[in-house]
Amino acid sequence: MIDPTLLAASTITLGAPLVLAALGGLTSERSGVMNIGLEGAMLGAACATFVVGMQTQNPWLGLAAALAAAILLMLLHAVLTQAFAIDQIISGMAINAIAAGGTSFLGKAMLDETSLLRAPFLPTQTYWCVAALAVATLAFYLRWTRGGVHLLAVGNDPDKSRQMGLDPVKVRYLALVATGLLCGLSGALICSNSGSFRDNMTAGRGFIALAALIIGGWRPLPTLAACLGFGLIEALQLHLQGTQLAGAAVPTEFWTSLPYLVTLVAMAGLLGKNRAPAGLGKP
Amino acid sequence: MGDIKGLGARHIVLVLCSFALVWLALAATKVPPLEALGQLVQGSMGSPAAWKQTFREMTPLLIAGLAVFLALKAGLFNIGADGQLVIGAAAAAATAIKVPGLGGVLLACLAAIVAGGLWALPAGWIRAYRGGHEVISTIMLNNIAGFLTVWLVTGPMRDPTQQSGTTAVLSSDSWIPAAVAQPPFSLSWTLPVGIVGVVAMALWLKRTVVGFELCAVGANRTASETAGVKVKGVTVWALMASGGLAGLAGAFFVLAYEHRFYANFSPGYGFDALGVALLSGGSPWGLLPASFLFAVLSSGSSAIQLTGVPKGLNGILLGLLIIVFASVRYRRSRLGDD
Amino acid sequence: MEVSLSGVTQRFGAVTALDDVGFRAGRGAIHALVGENGAGKTTLMRVLFGALQPNAGTIELDGKPVHFRNSADAINAGIGMVSQHYSVIPELTCLQNLMLGAEPGWLLSESKAKSRATELAGRMGYSFNWGDSAEGLSPAGKQKLEILKLLWRDAKVMILDEPTAMLSPADSEALYSSLASLAAGGATVIVVTHRLPEVMDHCQTVHVLRGGRNVANSLVAETGSRELAEMIVGHDIDERAVEQSTVGDVLAGVNGVTLKGYRGDDAVEDATFVLRAGEIVGLAGVDGNGQRELFQALLGRQRLSRGSIMFSGEDWTETGPRERIERGLRLIPEDRHLEGVIDEWSLEENAALGLQRLPPFARGLWVDSAGRRDAASRIADRFKTKHGGLRQKMSSLSGGNQQRYVAARALEVAPKLLLAFQPTRGLDIDGTAQVYGAIRQACQQGACALVVSFDLDELLEHCDRVLTIFHGRVQEPPAGLERDRQAIGRMMVGTG
Repeated sequence: MIDPTLLAASTITLGAPLVLAALGGLTSERSGVMNIGLEGAMLGAACATFVVGMQTQNPWLGLAAALAAAILLMLLHAVLTQAFAIDQIISGMAINAIAAGGTSFLGKAMLDETSLLRAPFLPTQTYWCVAALAVATLAFYLRWTRGGVHLLAVGNDPDKSRQMGLDPVKVRYLALVATGLLCGLSGALICSNSGSFRDNMTAGRGFIALAALIIGGWRPLPTLAACLGFGLIEALQLHLQGTQLAGAAVPTEFWTSLPYLVTLVAMAGLLGKNRAPAGLGKP
Repeated sequence: MGDIKGLGARHIVLVLCSFALVWLALAATKVPPLEALGQLVQGSMGSPAAWKQTFREMTPLLIAGLAVFLALKAGLFNIGADGQLVIGAAAAAATAIKVPGLGGVLLACLAAIVAGGLWALPAGWIRAYRGGHEVISTIMLNNIAGFLTVWLVTGPMRDPTQQSGTTAVLSSDSWIPAAVAQPPFSLSWTLPVGIVGVVAMALWLKRTVVGFELCAVGANRTASETAGVKVKGVTVWALMASGGLAGLAGAFFVLAYEHRFYANFSPGYGFDALGVALLSGGSPWGLLPASFLFAVLSSGSSAIQLTGVPKGLNGILLGLLIIVFASVRYRRSRLGDD
Repeated sequence: MEVSLSGVTQRFGAVTALDDVGFRAGRGAIHALVGENGAGKTTLMRVLFGALQPNAGTIELDGKPVHFRNSADAINAGIGMVSQHYSVIPELTCLQNLMLGAEPGWLLSESKAKSRATELAGRMGYSFNWGDSAEGLSPAGKQKLEILKLLWRDAKVMILDEPTAMLSPADSEALYSSLASLAAGGATVIVVTHRLPEVMDHCQTVHVLRGGRNVANSLVAETGSRELAEMIVGHDIDERAVEQSTVGDVLAGVNGVTLKGYRGDDAVEDATFVLRAGEIVGLAGVDGNGQRELFQALLGRQRLSRGSIMFSGEDWTETGPRERIERGLRLIPEDRHLEGVIDEWSLEENAALGLQRLPPFARGLWVDSAGRRDAASRIADRFKTKHGGLRQKMSSLSGGNQQRYVAARALEVAPKLLLAFQPTRGLDIDGTAQVYGAIRQACQQGACALVVSFDLDELLEHCDRVLTIFHGRVQEPPAGLERDRQAIGRMMVGTG
């Protein structure tokens, strides 16, 4: 049988990066900016934290680099979608392409065989605490603070918000900085979990986070639950590998596909009706 | 809004920043930019073998680009072309292994179209009847397709004589032959077929009522519905047709080039196809230069690697290209107030 | 606070929306700003509210010049504006909406805010469940919330753009009494409207704009309603009689139709009426009483919960827009940009939109390019649409010209049933006359027409028969009162 404590620990390990990234997606999409660039921001952060951490052997500088890289990429998304009015999906795709190419490029250019391929990281428990804190903070922020209400208002209807004297563009820039911050933490955690940087090491977790966000109905607590659910699926897959389930071997690929399948089912409306922020994608 | 109106200093800044970024990247590798550019041209167009490689890359990009283009005309972002392409490739390989010969080739292409189309069906249905965004659903389907095909080639479709996960090699009578074969240059029939596809698409969109209606849906869904267009139906079948074309691109790559199907079959053709479709500028004719450009970058970047420039530069270039182009072409116009 | 604008000029590209316009409004009174659609009323108020930066002109508050970079500046200076479509955000609660943009601190302390909100509401005689989502508010509830928002922000100058457009007459009366008490408290109230009875009954001064220029500025007490109407239109209004068509057999029949609304309740209940060949039937009602749903059902875009729709002997109940268009349904839609045209397409392509499967636009499954070109030029000529070539984009046309084009398109290929929703939106008097003239012409050739409008006078002027809709119930005026403005007006608000 599976040891429950072990399972819980790996659920948190695998779920925490998703939580951070999904919350990042939440601040962005709640402000009305569709963001499929989460993946790119996380990848950029993972690469930056490793390269800088390795060069300086300082975990804090590594973390700072991760945050800076992700914030930069999300600010790029903000500039492209707000100042240049590029379609939000196209901008997100471009950011993913640049991040994938750029990190692979940097990885090759900076990490040759001679360098010491090790970087120091903060203990992963730090990230878990930050993730938990972020969920609570965001839930509180959206309901009980001026900034939170402004974020919801702008995401719901930017034109009406402008009439009420808000500045939708400014709100969205700030929201995307927060997205960058959270994706930066997520990317740094992913890198720290695996100990070194590899090409495309986020492996689609940005998209799973997006999926969790949709299943969670763009609300912090349900999104947390969805992320932990996906973490659990991934953990189960690791623990159940090779074992028999109901008399038949379930292929690993089935377990890895499960988050995506669940999301599709959720999108088909079979898990109840979800409502996206009304202003999502509006200029 | 006019296409040119509203362009200004900020666009010039964007272009300059893009150049600066690429130049910086090259500077970091200590390769002189001009030399890198020379290598890129040399490696993609400098020899018959280079041309062969470029045309090989161009085929799936053109046909998958056509697929994404079709969906884009209906106002849909088919990010799932990559998944549809590998599913189509798997179906083609499975069919061609069972049925050899010319009949097998045709049957394999048909199977790929059907498989790719069906793979896009959930996304179309969710968009039309549940309002879920096709970008998210197709991303999910891409990942599922990836895992499904990995399972297929390590399980049911696996060639037991091979070490890694792959199907058996197709018998040579079910290969699509070369139209021109003068070693080291060769050109498969699949590329001319793709070009015919572009012509057909251009005519179909302009000259048929159904094409007109598809474009109307892409431009304004509510107005189209009011105009008697069955918008939900168009959404579903446009994504399915797009999926079918992407599947065909996969079949061509199996039948004309790889002659087998293996795990992680597509190096991201579907994503590049999105870039190709965006760069086409809304006209099917634009797909030809766009897919050629992407093919040049792809085959050229392999050559650049030899001079010490990492392959990742390709991704940076594609991303910047899309950004600069989209900043001119795909701006969202703000609606004026009444 | 006294407001004074002078020499305001506002251009949008080549169009001059305001040309050297001045405007004054003193405290303690309700000021009306009137004019036709497109006269520049809303533009002028958006300048005052800081939402537009004019090309020239100055704004003075209590004699001191001010400069607004955006609406936030204007709000800080004590100016508030309620736009025609309200700025209530449905996702937020009533209280959050009330405070939006003017929260007392970064942390929202709802109990304190609630007591002030309740106090403000009490002052106006309103009551709200502050914690409820604003989504469920009726138009009148939203309007009240907008007024409280002005009070919350201590607005000294209150601009209301067409405040009664979505309100029933009773709610309108209540609104004006609220406004009067605000004015009595010292506020400067500016009402933008095109409804003259409201001006005559409730406002103290009236300012008339025509074609972006000042026409007149006077006290209401010194102005006659007819005189005002002439100033607005710029020429005498001839009260001409409706030219009646010869009415033929029943063409369309709506029998016991019940429709679900957006919120799941019945938006239209048991509607039964007929349209006869040759007649224009008007459907009068206050916005939001089920007109939209009924219209969509006639188009074939909304399914009926009960009842049936017949057209010249055929059952249309289960058919969609395509089949109905093939049998002669034509449309002049409410929202042109949303439903009628594709802005970035050429005039030629837009000519075929909706008619794409019919000759001369198609031959079987193929597009007939030559036929389409000819048809497009006929459509453009019909109402003298001003355009720069048929290959130009639809968006290159002004709103009025787009409406002319859309109306002409609906009449191009053998219309049998014309549906028009506010067909004269954005048109001047001449355009209105042209559009109704053309509908009349089609009806004389055997078609029938149903026109939805929120303006009873327009319907009485142009239609053969007027039906009313109130709370989803369609009624025909009793015999003898078919053209009685008062009687129909009462039916529109359910007191008939």
